[in-house]
Amino acid sequence: MMTPIFAFTFAALLLAWLGRGRLALGALLVMLALSIGLFLFEVHNRDYGFRMPWIQTSAPVTAGEG
Amino acid sequence: MPNATLTFLNYLCLLLMQLALAAIQTAALVFQFALGETPCPLCILQRVAMFGVSFGIIRNFREGYSLKNDGMSMIFALFLLIIATRQTLINIYPRPGHEYIGSAVFGLHMPVWAILIATALLIGYAVKFAITGGDGNLTPLKKFPALARAGNALGLFIVLLAAVNFASVIVQCGVDACHTYEYRLLK
Repeated sequence: MMTPIFAFTFAALLLAWLGRGRLALGALLVMLALSIGLFLFEVHNRDYGFRMPWIQTSAPVTAGEG
Repeated sequence: MPNATLTFLNYLCLLLMQLALAAIQTAALVFQFALGETPCPLCILQRVAMFGVSFGIIRNFREGYSLKNDGMSMIFALFLLIIATRQTLINIYPRPGHEYIGSAVFGLHMPVWAILIATALLIGYAVKFAITGGDGNLTPLKKFPALARAGNALGLFIVLLAAVNFASVIVQCGVDACHTYEYRLLK
């Protein structure tokens, strides 16, 4: 997936530099969509989903507290 | 403030941002090829996001200033912030398979630096808007030929950096998922 993303990134930048605005914008939007998809794929975990259970957000309640 | 001064400040601000982005992307390649630190998938996505920010700046220099281009850059700065924050939170509690990889620069690893870079970019745009007040009162860039030449040259350098990254990603990832322990096509 990363190779097509960089193909579109390179195309978008080159077309922008050459002044081909609409084509460049099209390549950029494809690149953004693919990048968001890959980001979600990379951070998704089979066991946790998108949660991050290793980050403890509350202290365990001990006797005499809470 | 005269319109010419506002225009100069606007493009100078964009030029400095592009210069910072070019320096960061170059440093990333130096770490990759000179120090042998193969980038992780989220690190490569952060490079993509930075190229997205550069895209808006290139268009501002090539096709004239527009708030639309700044908006595009800000979308990618926000995307960079989201990726970097998530990666920092993934690695913040070291456990097998999840820890900061690569060298620390001034004690901070790449994703933490990326949070600072994205925040600095967003602050830069906010300050620029606060000072220049948008695109309605700016004069054409051709009144500042040196600035235009510098912006265009830096834009071309960014395109070349993207080409190097594209080739590097082909070698590292092929058409499959990227890994930090190998260059797939060099196996």
